[in-house]
Amino acid sequence: MSARNRELFALIPASLLLTAGFAAVFIQRDELLSDLSLTYGLIFLALCLAAHLVLRMTLPDADPYLFALVAVLACFGLVVLYRLDEQLARDQAKWFVVGLLFFTATILALRHDHRVLERYRYVIALGGIVLLLLPRLGSPTNGAYLSFSLGPISFQPAELAKIAIVIFLASYLRDTRQVLVVGARRFAGITFPPLKHLGPLLAVWGTAMGLLFVIQDLGSSLMFFGGFLALVYVATNRISFVLIGLALFALGARVLYAIRPTIESRVDAWLHPFDPELYNQEIGGSYQVAQSIFTQADGGFFGQGFGQALIRLGNETPLLPAAHTDFIYAVITDELGLMGAVAVLLVYLLIIERGFKTAMLATDSFSKLLATGLTAVLALQVFVIVGGVTKLIPLTGVTLPFISYGGSSIVANFILLALLLLVSDRARREAVA
Amino acid sequence: MLEPVSVGLKFAFLAVLYLFLLWVSRSALKDLRRDAFGGAPRAPVAAQDETGMHSAASLGALDGGAQVSPRLVVSSVPGLARGMSYDVAQGAVLGRGDVEIQLEDPFASSQHARLTRQGAILVIEDLGSTNGTYLNDELLRGPQPLHPGDRIRIGDSTFTYED
Repeated sequence: MSARNRELFALIPASLLLTAGFAAVFIQRDELLSDLSLTYGLIFLALCLAAHLVLRMTLPDADPYLFALVAVLACFGLVVLYRLDEQLARDQAKWFVVGLLFFTATILALRHDHRVLERYRYVIALGGIVLLLLPRLGSPTNGAYLSFSLGPISFQPAELAKIAIVIFLASYLRDTRQVLVVGARRFAGITFPPLKHLGPLLAVWGTAMGLLFVIQDLGSSLMFFGGFLALVYVATNRISFVLIGLALFALGARVLYAIRPTIESRVDAWLHPFDPELYNQEIGGSYQVAQSIFTQADGGFFGQGFGQALIRLGNETPLLPAAHTDFIYAVITDELGLMGAVAVLLVYLLIIERGFKTAMLATDSFSKLLATGLTAVLALQVFVIVGGVTKLIPLTGVTLPFISYGGSSIVANFILLALLLLVSDRARREAVA
Repeated sequence: MLEPVSVGLKFAFLAVLYLFLLWVSRSALKDLRRDAFGGAPRAPVAAQDETGMHSAASLGALDGGAQVSPRLVVSSVPGLARGMSYDVAQGAVLGRGDVEIQLEDPFASSQHARLTRQGAILVIEDLGSTNGTYLNDELLRGPQPLHPGDRIRIGDSTFTYED
Protein backbone atom coordinates (compact mmCIF):
# COMPACT_ATOMS: atom_id res chain seq x y z
CA MET A 1 0.00 0.00 0.00
CA SER A 2 1.40 3.39 -0.87
CA ALA A 3 1.76 6.00 1.81
CA ARG A 4 -1.27 8.01 0.71
CA ASN A 5 -3.51 4.94 0.39
CA ARG A 6 -2.58 3.99 3.94
CA GLU A 7 -3.58 7.46 5.05
CA LEU A 8 -6.90 7.21 3.21
CA PHE A 9 -7.60 3.86 4.84
CA ALA A 10 -6.70 5.21 8.26
CA LEU A 11 -9.22 8.03 7.91
CA ILE A 12 -12.11 5.54 7.90
CA PRO A 13 -11.75 4.51 11.56
CA ALA A 14 -11.40 8.18 12.48
CA SER A 15 -14.77 8.98 10.91
CA LEU A 16 -16.32 5.85 12.42
CA LEU A 17 -15.16 7.05 15.82
CA LEU A 18 -16.77 10.42 15.27
CA THR A 19 -20.04 8.84 14.18
CA ALA A 20 -20.13 6.44 17.13
CA GLY A 21 -19.23 9.22 19.53
CA PHE A 22 -21.93 11.56 18.29
CA ALA A 23 -24.50 8.75 18.22
CA ALA A 24 -23.72 7.96 21.85
CA VAL A 25 -24.08 11.60 22.86
CA PHE A 26 -27.39 11.90 20.98
CA ILE A 27 -28.79 8.83 22.69
CA GLN A 28 -27.81 10.21 26.04
CA ARG A 29 -29.32 13.56 25.35
CA ASP A 30 -32.51 12.98 23.38
CA GLU A 31 -33.24 9.37 24.10
CA LEU A 32 -33.56 8.90 20.39
CA LEU A 33 -31.26 7.76 17.67
CA SER A 34 -30.79 10.43 15.09
CA ASP A 35 -29.12 10.01 11.74
CA LEU A 36 -27.60 13.42 12.37
CA SER A 37 -24.59 11.67 13.87
CA LEU A 38 -24.01 9.95 10.55
CA THR A 39 -24.20 13.33 8.84
CA TYR A 40 -21.60 14.77 11.19
CA GLY A 41 -19.39 11.76 10.58
CA LEU A 42 -19.69 12.23 6.84
CA ILE A 43 -18.93 15.97 7.00
CA PHE A 44 -15.87 15.19 9.10
CA LEU A 45 -14.79 12.52 6.62
CA ALA A 46 -15.28 14.98 3.74
CA LEU A 47 -13.08 17.57 5.45
CA CYS A 48 -10.36 15.03 6.13
CA LEU A 49 -10.62 13.79 2.55
CA ALA A 50 -10.12 17.34 1.26
CA ALA A 51 -6.94 17.66 3.34
CA HIS A 52 -5.91 14.18 2.22
CA LEU A 53 -6.26 15.22 -1.43
CA VAL A 54 -4.06 18.25 -0.80
CA LEU A 55 -1.44 15.93 0.69
CA ARG A 56 -1.82 13.48 -2.18
CA MET A 57 -1.11 16.20 -4.70
CA THR A 58 1.63 18.10 -2.92
CA LEU A 59 3.40 15.73 -0.53
CA PRO A 60 2.91 12.22 -1.90
CA ASP A 61 5.66 10.67 0.22
CA ALA A 62 4.87 12.25 3.57
CA ASP A 63 4.28 10.10 6.63
CA PRO A 64 0.96 8.27 6.21
CA TYR A 65 -0.05 8.08 9.88
CA LEU A 66 0.48 11.59 11.20
CA PHE A 67 -2.60 13.11 9.63
CA ALA A 68 -4.85 10.17 10.48
CA LEU A 69 -3.72 10.21 14.12
CA VAL A 70 -4.43 13.91 14.33
CA ALA A 71 -7.88 13.30 12.82
CA VAL A 72 -8.59 10.86 15.65
CA LEU A 73 -7.61 13.48 18.22
CA ALA A 74 -9.76 16.10 16.50
CA CYS A 75 -12.68 13.67 16.57
CA PHE A 76 -12.20 13.16 20.33
CA GLY A 77 -12.25 16.91 20.75
CA LEU A 78 -15.40 17.45 18.70
CA VAL A 79 -17.35 14.66 20.42
CA VAL A 80 -16.45 15.73 23.95
CA LEU A 81 -17.07 19.40 23.19
CA TYR A 82 -20.46 18.59 21.65
CA ARG A 83 -21.32 16.69 24.75
CA LEU A 84 -20.33 19.67 26.91
CA ASP A 85 -21.92 22.41 24.86
CA GLU A 86 -23.26 22.29 21.30
CA GLN A 87 -22.21 25.85 20.57
CA LEU A 88 -18.62 25.11 21.57
CA ALA A 89 -18.51 22.15 19.21
CA ARG A 90 -19.86 24.26 16.35
CA ASP A 91 -17.20 26.90 16.97
CA GLN A 92 -14.56 24.22 17.24
CA ALA A 93 -15.69 22.71 13.93
CA LYS A 94 -15.28 26.15 12.33
CA TRP A 95 -11.79 26.43 13.81
CA PHE A 96 -11.05 22.95 12.53
CA VAL A 97 -11.85 24.20 9.01
CA VAL A 98 -9.74 27.34 9.53
CA GLY A 99 -6.93 25.14 10.85
CA LEU A 100 -7.10 22.95 7.75
CA LEU A 101 -6.94 26.08 5.58
CA PHE A 102 -3.79 27.22 7.35
CA PHE A 103 -2.46 23.65 7.06
CA THR A 104 -3.02 23.76 3.30
CA ALA A 105 -1.60 27.26 2.97
CA THR A 106 1.58 26.28 4.84
CA ILE A 107 2.06 23.23 2.66
CA LEU A 108 1.45 25.13 -0.56
CA ALA A 109 3.76 27.97 0.45
CA LEU A 110 6.66 25.73 1.45
CA ARG A 111 6.18 22.66 -0.69
CA HIS A 112 9.26 23.27 -2.84
CA ASP A 113 11.67 23.67 0.01
CA HIS A 114 10.79 24.31 3.62
CA ARG A 115 14.37 25.38 4.22
CA VAL A 116 13.61 28.87 2.93
CA LEU A 117 12.43 29.40 6.51
CA GLU A 118 16.08 29.56 7.50
CA ARG A 119 16.49 32.81 5.60
CA TYR A 120 13.95 34.54 7.78
CA ARG A 121 15.09 33.11 11.07
CA TYR A 122 15.70 36.40 12.85
CA VAL A 123 12.40 37.85 11.66
CA ILE A 124 10.67 34.68 12.79
CA ALA A 125 12.38 34.76 16.18
CA LEU A 126 11.47 38.41 16.70
CA GLY A 127 7.89 37.66 15.71
CA GLY A 128 7.78 34.84 18.23
CA ILE A 129 8.99 36.99 21.09
CA VAL A 130 6.61 39.83 20.22
CA LEU A 131 3.76 37.33 20.14
CA LEU A 132 4.71 36.09 23.59
CA LEU A 133 4.79 39.58 25.03
CA LEU A 134 1.46 40.71 23.50
CA PRO A 135 -0.77 39.28 26.25
CA ARG A 136 1.00 41.48 28.73
CA LEU A 137 -1.02 44.36 27.26
CA GLY A 138 -4.23 42.75 28.40
CA SER A 139 -5.35 41.52 31.76
CA PRO A 140 -4.29 38.22 33.34
CA THR A 141 -6.48 35.12 33.48
CA ASN A 142 -6.01 33.16 36.68
CA GLY A 143 -2.82 35.09 37.34
CA ALA A 144 -1.15 34.27 34.02
CA TYR A 145 -0.89 36.43 30.94
CA LEU A 146 -1.77 33.98 28.23
CA SER A 147 -4.34 35.36 25.87
CA PHE A 148 -4.63 38.49 23.82
CA SER A 149 -7.84 40.00 22.53
CA LEU A 150 -8.06 41.55 19.11
CA GLY A 151 -11.60 42.77 18.69
CA PRO A 152 -13.91 39.79 19.15
CA ILE A 153 -11.18 37.21 18.70
CA SER A 154 -9.07 36.24 21.66
CA PHE A 155 -6.05 34.14 20.95
CA GLN A 156 -3.16 32.56 22.80
CA PRO A 157 0.00 33.75 21.08
CA ALA A 158 2.17 31.23 22.91
CA GLU A 159 0.77 28.57 20.60
CA LEU A 160 2.13 30.25 17.48
CA ALA A 161 5.26 31.47 19.23
CA LYS A 162 6.34 27.93 20.02
CA ILE A 163 6.61 27.17 16.30
CA ALA A 164 8.49 30.40 15.58
CA ILE A 165 10.98 29.71 18.33
CA VAL A 166 11.58 26.13 17.23
CA ILE A 167 12.25 27.28 13.67
CA PHE A 168 14.74 29.85 14.92
CA LEU A 169 16.55 27.47 17.27
CA ALA A 170 16.76 24.72 14.65
CA SER A 171 18.31 27.13 12.21
CA TYR A 172 20.64 28.68 14.78
CA LEU A 173 21.87 25.35 16.14
CA ARG A 174 22.42 24.00 12.65
CA ASP A 175 25.03 26.69 12.21
CA THR A 176 26.67 26.54 15.60
CA ARG A 177 26.42 22.94 16.71
CA GLN A 178 29.89 22.07 15.49
CA VAL A 179 31.44 25.05 17.19
CA LEU A 180 29.62 24.36 20.43
CA VAL A 181 31.27 20.99 20.67
CA VAL A 182 34.69 21.63 19.21
CA GLY A 183 35.52 24.48 21.56
CA ALA A 184 34.02 22.75 24.57
CA ARG A 185 36.11 22.40 27.70
CA ARG A 186 35.90 19.73 30.32
CA PHE A 187 35.94 20.85 33.89
CA ALA A 188 35.30 18.62 36.91
CA GLY A 189 34.06 15.88 34.60
CA ILE A 190 31.43 18.07 32.98
CA THR A 191 31.67 19.42 29.45
CA PHE A 192 31.06 23.13 29.25
CA PRO A 193 30.38 24.87 25.96
CA PRO A 194 32.94 27.50 24.93
CA LEU A 195 32.34 30.86 26.58
CA LYS A 196 31.89 32.68 23.30
CA HIS A 197 28.96 30.47 22.38
CA LEU A 198 27.60 30.22 25.86
CA GLY A 199 26.23 33.71 25.37
CA PRO A 200 23.39 32.83 22.98
CA LEU A 201 22.52 29.77 25.05
CA LEU A 202 22.35 31.86 28.20
CA ALA A 203 20.22 34.33 26.26
CA VAL A 204 17.71 31.59 25.54
CA TRP A 205 17.72 30.60 29.19
CA GLY A 206 17.26 34.25 30.14
CA THR A 207 14.35 34.53 27.72
CA ALA A 208 12.67 31.49 29.27
CA MET A 209 13.13 32.94 32.73
CA GLY A 210 11.96 36.35 31.54
CA LEU A 211 8.89 34.72 30.08
CA LEU A 212 8.19 32.99 33.31
CA PHE A 213 8.49 36.33 35.03
CA VAL A 214 6.42 38.30 32.53
CA ILE A 215 3.61 35.92 31.63
CA GLN A 216 3.85 34.11 34.95
CA ASP A 217 3.15 30.77 33.43
CA LEU A 218 5.36 27.87 34.39
CA GLY A 219 3.81 25.54 31.80
CA SER A 220 4.69 27.47 28.67
CA SER A 221 8.18 28.31 29.85
CA LEU A 222 8.75 24.64 30.69
CA MET A 223 7.54 23.81 27.19
CA PHE A 224 9.85 26.32 25.49
CA PHE A 225 12.89 25.55 27.57
CA GLY A 226 12.36 21.79 27.34
CA GLY A 227 12.10 22.06 23.57
CA PHE A 228 15.28 24.07 23.53
CA LEU A 229 17.18 21.50 25.63
CA ALA A 230 15.94 18.68 23.40
CA LEU A 231 17.29 20.55 20.39
CA VAL A 232 20.63 21.25 22.06
CA TYR A 233 20.95 17.60 22.98
CA VAL A 234 20.18 16.37 19.48
CA ALA A 235 22.46 18.98 17.91
CA THR A 236 25.48 18.34 20.11
CA ASN A 237 25.05 14.89 21.66
CA ARG A 238 26.26 16.32 24.98
CA ILE A 239 24.05 15.33 27.88
CA SER A 240 26.02 17.72 30.08
CA PHE A 241 24.54 20.71 28.25
CA VAL A 242 21.09 19.40 29.10
CA LEU A 243 22.00 18.88 32.74
CA ILE A 244 23.45 22.38 33.00
CA GLY A 245 20.27 23.72 31.41
CA LEU A 246 18.02 21.82 33.77
CA ALA A 247 19.99 22.98 36.78
CA LEU A 248 19.74 26.60 35.62
CA PHE A 249 16.00 26.22 35.00
CA ALA A 250 15.42 24.73 38.43
CA LEU A 251 17.39 27.54 39.98
CA GLY A 252 15.41 30.19 38.11
CA ALA A 253 12.09 28.54 38.92
CA ARG A 254 13.01 28.38 42.60
CA VAL A 255 13.84 32.09 42.69
CA LEU A 256 10.62 33.01 40.92
CA TYR A 257 8.66 30.77 43.24
CA ALA A 258 9.96 32.85 46.12
CA ILE A 259 9.07 36.22 44.64
CA ARG A 260 5.89 35.56 42.67
CA PRO A 261 2.75 34.75 44.69
CA THR A 262 0.80 33.33 41.72
CA ILE A 263 3.38 30.62 41.18
CA GLU A 264 3.50 29.90 44.88
CA SER A 265 -0.27 29.40 45.06
CA ARG A 266 -0.14 27.01 42.09
CA VAL A 267 2.47 24.92 43.83
CA ASP A 268 0.52 24.89 47.10
CA ALA A 269 -2.62 23.75 45.27
CA TRP A 270 -0.59 20.99 43.67
CA LEU A 271 0.93 19.77 46.93
CA HIS A 272 -2.22 19.93 49.06
CA PRO A 273 -5.29 19.86 46.80
CA PHE A 274 -7.56 18.46 49.52
CA ASP A 275 -6.58 20.94 52.18
CA PRO A 276 -9.97 22.47 53.23
CA GLU A 277 -8.60 25.97 53.44
CA LEU A 278 -7.04 25.85 49.98
CA TYR A 279 -10.05 24.01 48.54
CA ASN A 280 -12.46 26.76 49.64
CA GLN A 281 -10.20 29.63 48.72
CA GLU A 282 -11.92 31.85 46.16
CA ILE A 283 -8.93 32.76 44.00
CA GLY A 284 -5.92 30.59 43.35
CA GLY A 285 -7.18 27.73 45.50
CA SER A 286 -6.98 24.03 44.82
CA TYR A 287 -10.66 23.60 43.90
CA GLN A 288 -9.89 22.93 40.21
CA VAL A 289 -7.21 20.34 40.83
CA ALA A 290 -9.28 18.51 43.45
CA GLN A 291 -12.37 18.41 41.20
CA SER A 292 -10.26 17.19 38.31
CA ILE A 293 -9.02 14.28 40.40
CA PHE A 294 -12.56 13.43 41.57
CA THR A 295 -13.77 13.51 37.96
CA GLN A 296 -11.07 11.16 36.79
CA ALA A 297 -11.63 8.75 39.68
CA ASP A 298 -15.30 8.63 38.74
CA GLY A 299 -14.39 7.18 35.35
CA GLY A 300 -13.14 3.81 36.55
CA PHE A 301 -11.80 1.35 34.03
CA PHE A 302 -14.29 1.63 31.17
CA GLY A 303 -15.78 5.00 32.06
CA GLN A 304 -19.31 6.26 32.67
CA GLY A 305 -20.17 6.46 29.00
CA PHE A 306 -20.64 9.46 26.74
CA GLY A 307 -22.70 12.21 28.29
CA GLN A 308 -22.64 10.62 31.74
CA ALA A 309 -19.94 12.62 33.44
CA LEU A 310 -21.28 14.97 36.08
CA ILE A 311 -19.95 18.31 34.94
CA ARG A 312 -22.46 20.65 36.58
CA LEU A 313 -25.22 20.33 39.15
CA GLY A 314 -28.39 21.86 37.77
CA ASN A 315 -27.63 25.40 36.68
CA GLU A 316 -25.18 26.10 39.43
CA THR A 317 -21.54 26.84 38.96
CA PRO A 318 -19.86 23.97 37.19
CA LEU A 319 -18.36 21.21 39.30
CA LEU A 320 -15.45 20.96 36.92
CA PRO A 321 -14.26 24.36 35.76
CA ALA A 322 -12.73 24.91 32.32
CA ALA A 323 -13.96 21.48 31.24
CA HIS A 324 -13.64 22.41 27.56
CA THR A 325 -10.05 23.63 27.69
CA ASP A 326 -7.66 22.74 30.49
CA PHE A 327 -9.64 19.88 31.96
CA ILE A 328 -10.90 18.19 28.82
CA TYR A 329 -8.59 15.29 29.60
CA ALA A 330 -10.41 14.79 32.91
CA VAL A 331 -13.77 14.68 31.07
CA ILE A 332 -12.45 12.06 28.65
CA THR A 333 -11.18 9.98 31.56
CA ASP A 334 -14.56 10.22 33.26
CA GLU A 335 -16.58 9.21 30.22
CA LEU A 336 -14.28 6.60 28.66
CA GLY A 337 -12.37 5.54 31.73
CA LEU A 338 -8.78 4.45 31.96
CA MET A 339 -9.11 2.71 28.60
CA GLY A 340 -10.10 5.92 26.83
CA ALA A 341 -7.50 8.04 28.58
CA VAL A 342 -4.72 5.57 27.78
CA ALA A 343 -5.90 5.48 24.17
CA VAL A 344 -5.60 9.27 23.94
CA LEU A 345 -2.09 9.13 25.36
CA LEU A 346 -1.22 6.33 22.95
CA VAL A 347 -2.35 8.46 20.02
CA TYR A 348 -0.01 11.22 21.21
CA LEU A 349 2.75 8.69 21.73
CA LEU A 350 2.40 7.44 18.18
CA ILE A 351 2.37 10.99 16.79
CA ILE A 352 5.57 11.67 18.70
CA GLU A 353 7.10 8.42 17.47
CA ARG A 354 6.28 9.41 13.88
CA GLY A 355 7.75 12.85 14.53
CA PHE A 356 11.07 11.54 15.81
CA LYS A 357 11.13 8.95 13.05
CA THR A 358 10.80 11.81 10.58
CA ALA A 359 13.70 13.56 12.28
CA MET A 360 15.81 10.41 11.99
CA LEU A 361 15.05 10.07 8.30
CA ALA A 362 15.62 13.73 7.52
CA THR A 363 18.78 14.30 5.59
CA ASP A 364 19.95 17.78 6.39
CA SER A 365 20.57 19.13 9.86
CA PHE A 366 17.99 21.89 9.68
CA SER A 367 15.16 19.50 8.82
CA LYS A 368 16.37 17.04 11.45
CA LEU A 369 16.42 19.71 14.14
CA LEU A 370 13.14 21.22 12.99
CA ALA A 371 11.31 17.89 13.19
CA THR A 372 12.90 17.13 16.56
CA GLY A 373 12.00 20.51 17.97
CA LEU A 374 8.41 20.52 16.78
CA THR A 375 7.85 17.00 18.09
CA ALA A 376 9.51 17.77 21.42
CA VAL A 377 7.43 20.89 21.95
CA LEU A 378 4.23 19.01 21.16
CA ALA A 379 5.21 16.18 23.51
CA LEU A 380 6.05 18.60 26.30
CA GLN A 381 2.75 20.41 25.83
CA VAL A 382 0.86 17.16 26.30
CA PHE A 383 3.04 16.36 29.31
CA VAL A 384 2.49 19.76 30.91
CA ILE A 385 -1.30 19.70 30.67
CA VAL A 386 -1.92 16.00 31.32
CA GLY A 387 0.64 16.13 34.12
CA GLY A 388 -1.13 19.14 35.58
CA VAL A 389 -4.60 17.62 35.36
CA THR A 390 -3.45 14.36 36.93
CA LYS A 391 -1.51 16.21 39.66
CA LEU A 392 1.91 15.03 38.60
CA ILE A 393 3.19 18.59 38.26
CA PRO A 394 1.66 21.96 39.23
CA LEU A 395 -1.25 22.79 36.96
CA THR A 396 -0.72 25.36 34.24
CA GLY A 397 -3.12 26.32 31.52
CA VAL A 398 -1.91 25.07 28.18
CA THR A 399 -4.23 23.33 25.75
CA LEU A 400 -4.32 19.65 24.96
CA PRO A 401 -3.21 19.78 21.32
CA PHE A 402 -5.96 19.13 18.74
CA ILE A 403 -8.50 18.22 21.45
CA SER A 404 -9.03 21.28 23.65
CA TYR A 405 -11.37 24.04 22.59
CA GLY A 406 -9.45 26.98 21.21
CA GLY A 407 -8.88 28.54 17.82
CA SER A 408 -5.26 29.56 18.17
CA SER A 409 -4.31 26.15 19.49
CA ILE A 410 -5.97 24.31 16.60
CA VAL A 411 -4.53 26.64 13.97
CA ALA A 412 -1.01 26.60 15.43
CA ASN A 413 -0.95 22.84 15.80
CA PHE A 414 -2.13 22.34 12.23
CA ILE A 415 0.73 24.56 11.06
CA LEU A 416 3.07 22.43 13.18
CA LEU A 417 1.66 19.30 11.57
CA ALA A 418 2.11 20.81 8.09
CA LEU A 419 5.79 21.51 8.83
CA LEU A 420 6.35 17.97 10.10
CA LEU A 421 4.73 16.55 6.96
CA LEU A 422 6.85 18.81 4.76
CA VAL A 423 10.04 17.52 6.40
CA SER A 424 8.73 13.97 6.23
CA ASP A 425 7.88 14.15 2.52
CA ARG A 426 11.36 15.24 1.51
CA ALA A 427 13.09 12.83 3.90
CA ARG A 428 11.11 9.78 2.84
CA ARG A 429 11.46 10.55 -0.84
CA GLU A 430 15.24 10.79 -0.46
CA ALA A 431 15.33 7.64 1.66
CA VAL A 432 13.57 5.68 -1.09
CA ALA A 433 15.59 7.11 -3.95
CA MET B 1 -34.58 1.33 26.42
CA LEU B 2 -31.58 2.79 24.71
CA GLU B 3 -29.25 2.16 27.62
CA PRO B 4 -27.74 -1.03 26.13
CA VAL B 5 -27.23 0.75 22.78
CA SER B 6 -25.40 3.52 24.52
CA VAL B 7 -23.14 1.14 26.41
CA GLY B 8 -22.59 -0.86 23.23
CA LEU B 9 -21.58 2.28 21.39
CA LYS B 10 -19.08 3.16 24.07
CA PHE B 11 -17.42 -0.22 23.78
CA ALA B 12 -17.59 -0.09 19.99
CA PHE B 13 -15.89 3.30 20.16
CA LEU B 14 -13.11 1.91 22.34
CA ALA B 15 -12.76 -1.20 20.18
CA VAL B 16 -12.41 0.76 16.93
CA LEU B 17 -9.96 3.06 18.63
CA TYR B 18 -7.75 0.27 19.89
CA LEU B 19 -7.86 -1.63 16.60
CA PHE B 20 -6.79 1.53 14.84
CA LEU B 21 -3.95 2.06 17.31
CA LEU B 22 -2.86 -1.55 16.93
CA TRP B 23 -2.74 -1.18 13.17
CA VAL B 24 -0.71 2.02 13.31
CA SER B 25 1.73 0.71 15.87
CA ARG B 26 2.22 -2.53 13.94
CA SER B 27 3.17 -0.57 10.85
CA ALA B 28 5.33 1.74 12.88
CA LEU B 29 7.15 -1.22 14.42
CA LYS B 30 7.68 -2.78 11.03
CA ASP B 31 9.11 0.52 9.91
CA LEU B 32 11.55 0.63 12.79
CA ARG B 33 12.62 -2.97 12.34
CA ARG B 34 13.31 -2.47 8.66
CA ASP B 35 15.70 0.30 9.56
CA ALA B 36 17.44 -1.63 12.29
CA PHE B 37 18.16 -4.79 10.33
CA GLY B 38 19.22 -4.56 6.75
CA GLY B 39 17.04 -2.61 4.42
CA ALA B 40 18.93 -0.81 1.74
CA PRO B 41 22.59 -1.40 2.42
CA ARG B 42 24.05 1.87 3.57
CA ALA B 43 27.35 2.75 2.06
CA PRO B 44 30.28 3.08 4.46
CA VAL B 45 29.56 2.90 8.14
CA ALA B 46 27.36 5.83 8.97
CA ALA B 47 29.70 8.63 9.66
CA GLN B 48 29.75 10.17 13.08
CA ASP B 49 31.25 13.53 13.66
CA GLU B 50 31.99 15.19 16.96
CA THR B 51 28.32 15.82 17.55
CA GLY B 52 27.16 12.31 16.77
CA MET B 53 24.65 13.60 14.25
CA HIS B 54 25.69 12.36 10.87
CA SER B 55 24.41 13.77 7.69
CA ALA B 56 22.53 11.06 5.91
CA ALA B 57 21.98 13.50 3.07
CA SER B 58 25.37 12.95 1.78
CA LEU B 59 25.15 9.21 2.26
CA GLY B 60 22.67 9.07 -0.60
CA ALA B 61 25.11 10.63 -2.98
CA LEU B 62 28.03 8.59 -1.75
CA ASP B 63 29.26 5.35 -3.07
CA GLY B 64 31.76 2.89 -1.78
CA GLY B 65 34.61 4.33 -3.71
CA ALA B 66 35.06 1.20 -5.78
CA GLN B 67 34.60 2.95 -9.10
CA VAL B 68 37.36 4.52 -11.08
CA SER B 69 35.43 7.60 -12.16
CA PRO B 70 36.62 10.98 -10.93
CA ARG B 71 35.67 11.45 -7.32
CA LEU B 72 36.19 13.56 -4.26
CA VAL B 73 37.39 11.55 -1.27
CA VAL B 74 36.66 12.89 2.18
CA SER B 75 39.85 13.66 4.11
CA SER B 76 38.20 15.47 6.95
CA VAL B 77 34.73 16.90 6.74
CA PRO B 78 32.53 17.62 9.75
CA GLY B 79 29.73 15.07 9.70
CA LEU B 80 31.29 12.65 7.21
CA ALA B 81 33.55 9.66 7.68
CA ARG B 82 37.03 9.77 6.27
CA GLY B 83 37.43 7.77 3.09
CA MET B 84 33.91 8.17 1.75
CA SER B 85 33.72 9.53 -1.74
CA TYR B 86 31.47 11.50 -4.05
CA ASP B 87 31.20 10.70 -7.71
CA VAL B 88 31.87 13.97 -9.51
CA ALA B 89 32.08 12.71 -13.08
CA GLN B 90 29.21 14.98 -14.06
CA GLY B 91 30.47 17.93 -12.03
CA ALA B 92 28.99 19.12 -8.75
CA VAL B 93 28.47 22.15 -6.56
CA LEU B 94 29.83 22.20 -3.02
CA GLY B 95 28.25 24.35 -0.33
CA ARG B 96 26.06 24.63 2.67
CA GLY B 97 22.82 25.10 0.75
CA ASP B 98 20.75 22.72 -1.35
CA VAL B 99 23.57 21.53 -3.60
CA GLU B 100 25.04 18.19 -4.68
CA ILE B 101 27.70 18.01 -1.99
CA GLN B 102 26.29 19.45 1.20
CA LEU B 103 28.77 20.67 3.76
CA GLU B 104 27.88 21.10 7.38
CA ASP B 105 30.56 23.66 7.81
CA PRO B 106 29.95 27.05 9.36
CA PHE B 107 32.66 28.56 7.19
CA ALA B 108 31.20 27.39 3.89
CA SER B 109 28.94 29.59 1.81
CA SER B 110 25.65 28.18 0.58
CA GLN B 111 27.04 27.82 -2.95
CA HIS B 112 30.71 27.68 -2.33
CA ALA B 113 32.56 26.08 -5.22
CA ARG B 114 31.73 24.30 -8.45
CA LEU B 115 33.32 21.39 -10.29
CA THR B 116 32.61 21.34 -14.02
CA ARG B 117 33.52 18.85 -16.63
CA GLN B 118 35.42 20.25 -19.61
CA GLY B 119 36.21 17.46 -22.01
CA ALA B 120 38.45 15.02 -20.21
CA ILE B 121 39.29 17.21 -17.24
CA LEU B 122 37.43 18.60 -14.27
CA VAL B 123 37.70 22.27 -13.46
CA ILE B 124 37.14 23.77 -10.02
CA GLU B 125 36.06 27.36 -9.49
CA ASP B 126 35.08 29.39 -6.49
CA LEU B 127 31.55 30.78 -6.66
CA GLY B 128 32.36 34.03 -4.86
CA SER B 129 32.40 32.42 -1.45
CA THR B 130 33.01 34.46 1.70
CA ASN B 131 35.93 32.45 3.03
CA GLY B 132 37.45 31.22 -0.20
CA THR B 133 38.39 27.83 -1.58
CA TYR B 134 41.89 26.43 -1.21
CA LEU B 135 43.50 24.13 -3.75
CA ASN B 136 46.59 22.47 -2.27
CA ASP B 137 46.61 25.15 0.44
CA GLU B 138 46.60 27.98 -2.05
CA LEU B 139 43.68 30.34 -2.35
CA LEU B 140 41.87 29.60 -5.55
CA ARG B 141 41.75 32.54 -7.96
CA GLY B 142 39.81 31.74 -11.08
CA PRO B 143 39.05 28.26 -12.45
CA GLN B 144 41.75 25.62 -12.11
CA PRO B 145 41.97 22.12 -13.57
CA LEU B 146 42.12 19.26 -11.06
CA HIS B 147 44.80 16.59 -10.97
CA PRO B 148 44.65 13.34 -9.03
CA GLY B 149 45.89 13.88 -5.49
CA ASP B 150 44.85 17.52 -5.34
CA ARG B 151 43.59 18.68 -1.98
CA ILE B 152 40.53 20.92 -1.86
CA ARG B 153 39.82 22.79 1.35
CA ILE B 154 36.67 24.74 2.19
CA GLY B 155 36.49 26.07 5.75
CA ASP B 156 37.24 23.05 7.95
CA SER B 157 36.43 20.52 5.23
CA THR B 158 39.13 18.87 3.18
CA PHE B 159 38.69 16.58 0.18
CA THR B 160 41.18 14.79 -2.02
CA TYR B 161 40.52 14.53 -5.72
CA GLU B 162 41.11 11.10 -7.24
CA ASP B 163 40.70 9.78 -10.72
